[in-house]
Amino acid sequence: MSNAPIIRVSALTKVYQGSLKPAVDQLSFSVTEGEIFGLLGPNGAGKSTTLMMLCGLLKIGAGTIQVFGLDVDREGAEIRRQIGVAPQDIALFPNLTARENLVYFCRMYGLKSHAIHGVVHHYLEAFGLLDKANMRVSHFSGGMKRRLNLIAALLHHPRLLVLDEPTTGVDVQSRNMILDYMKKLRLEGVTILYSSHLLEEAEKLCSRFAIIDEGRLIAAGTLAEMLDANGGGENLEQLFLHLTGKGIRD
Amino acid sequence: MKVLATIWKEFLLLIRDPGGLALIFIMPMALVIVMALIQNNTFREFQETRIDVLFVDEDRNTLSGNIEGSLQASPNIHLIKTESGKPLTREAARQLVQRGDYQAAIIIPPQATVALRGKTKQAVDELFAYYGFGPAILANESPAVELQLLFDPAIKANYKQALTSAVEKMVTGVQAEWLTDTIQEQFGGTEPKKKIKIDFSGMIHVNQMIAAENTLSGLAVNAVQHNVPAWSMFAMFFILFPLAGNFIKEREEGSMLRLRLISGSQFPVISGKFIFYLFVCLLQLVSMIGVGLYVMPIIGLNKLALGTNGLGVVLTGLTVAMAATGYGLLIAVYFRTPQQALSFGSISVVILAALGGVWVPTFAMPQIMQSISPYSPLNWGLEAFNDLFLRNASTSVILPDLVKLLCFSLVTLAASVLIYKSRTVS
Repeated sequence: MSNAPIIRVSALTKVYQGSLKPAVDQLSFSVTEGEIFGLLGPNGAGKSTTLMMLCGLLKIGAGTIQVFGLDVDREGAEIRRQIGVAPQDIALFPNLTARENLVYFCRMYGLKSHAIHGVVHHYLEAFGLLDKANMRVSHFSGGMKRRLNLIAALLHHPRLLVLDEPTTGVDVQSRNMILDYMKKLRLEGVTILYSSHLLEEAEKLCSRFAIIDEGRLIAAGTLAEMLDANGGGENLEQLFLHLTGKGIRD
Repeated sequence: MKVLATIWKEFLLLIRDPGGLALIFIMPMALVIVMALIQNNTFREFQETRIDVLFVDEDRNTLSGNIEGSLQASPNIHLIKTESGKPLTREAARQLVQRGDYQAAIIIPPQATVALRGKTKQAVDELFAYYGFGPAILANESPAVELQLLFDPAIKANYKQALTSAVEKMVTGVQAEWLTDTIQEQFGGTEPKKKIKIDFSGMIHVNQMIAAENTLSGLAVNAVQHNVPAWSMFAMFFILFPLAGNFIKEREEGSMLRLRLISGSQFPVISGKFIFYLFVCLLQLVSMIGVGLYVMPIIGLNKLALGTNGLGVVLTGLTVAMAATGYGLLIAVYFRTPQQALSFGSISVVILAALGGVWVPTFAMPQIMQSISPYSPLNWGLEAFNDLFLRNASTSVILPDLVKLLCFSLVTLAASVLIYKSRTVS
């Protein structure tokens, strides 16, 4: 594991069609290999837009994103081969069982047939879903869907995991399981780009952060570095409110 | 492997959707049976032009007997001579036709035979006298024999024409026969044994044949022959309902997003869906043909005739299925909501079907619609099926229609892929 940046975002800008205000405005940050990096911000800050551009689902307006040293605009397909994404919305087939979903995604990732059964079994067991493997996803609870959504991003052993609000709407047990597994993945050398509203969770999990608001970067670094640079405070939540204000966001 | 995985996934999703299955298989079968039953009489009318005709015989002699005999032998006319067990009268027939209970009546007036024989003999006598074979005859201008045909004002012009022609033809035949009899009598052949019977009907034959490429079939279009291929294609084009419905549902539920995040999954996703629904379309066609072969005869309709060109039927089914699936896929990727896709898709298929001759055969359409009809892919398929089933056409005959269907399919498929790719990164 090196300290070389695995993600390098430079002067990234995106203006949606019909909008005068940029959703992302001159945003720059980098993520080092093997760390859990928190991308934080209030609603409408530009987090999801940034993640979508990083995954190649949204055209970059201006600036660049490099992942593994590859340009997202030109080499998106190669990048997608090495990243796993757990989107904020559940991205599964509700009328297929958990096992059928995972087997299908394994095949789409290009895993060899003989390996698929083992991989699926391993993750179902690791996330406590083995006994529900043959149940249709439409009958799953919110927490079970979240866990399965995360498994679907891990099947091909990605080097980089992009998680957008991975614990939204789940119970404490499921959340603990997801967070523990993320820590385990970090130990295995997987880099995690984590986006969330849950600042307490982010504080426990992430080694470095970028806080963005209205598309612009307003703070970056470790928690200590950010607290120092912004006049102190006790925790991430206080710093966040100090930087982004207490006004309600849409 | 990825394509096969997508096909299997689509299969699992479809078999877990009872509504979708019913829409694909049960509804079209019900539709084709109902439409064939409803249209059966219309098609028989077209083909057979069989009508009930009142026959009032006030002559009760040879002429009326000959006309009645000939009309009874006609497959297109059903003669009715009595009403409530009593012989029909002129007045009763007039009232029945006037009320619209019957469309036509034939009235043979009293003494019609005697009058016609008299007119015939007079004509022969005049002929012989003119050439010096007999005494000069004083011209006695007796009035012409008047047969009456009463028609309902609502009768179709072709029925009216057909009935009038039939009666005129019969009277002419009787007259020709009597003319030769009278001439022979003038020459002294009064004994029946010495008379020569001339068979006028044997002098010329008018053969009715169906212009098919070979003569094995010789079928005419009927409710089954029209409705089975027509509604099969309609059902196949309605594949857009499950196809577009599932596609957009996957987009809305997020599973499509997952696939977009997987590198290299775009082509297998599209092609897997295309191949699966193509297979479903073919299954639809097979099930509808099965209905035509085995169910239609049970409910009193004609059995579907498939012609003799099996390869042609397979190729036509395949190209129609490709066109239907391509169109469904295009609708699925182009529209963003199920409401938009399904509303536009269903209305457009109904319009294409109407133009293509599914609802009403092309030959029964107004001229302007007949000129628009060849632009509908359903018309290409229907024409090809009609060529195969009714005319026993060879594959080379249906090839232009197959090429058009194939091109339509490739264009819609290419457009679907382009739109899908362009929306993967927006």
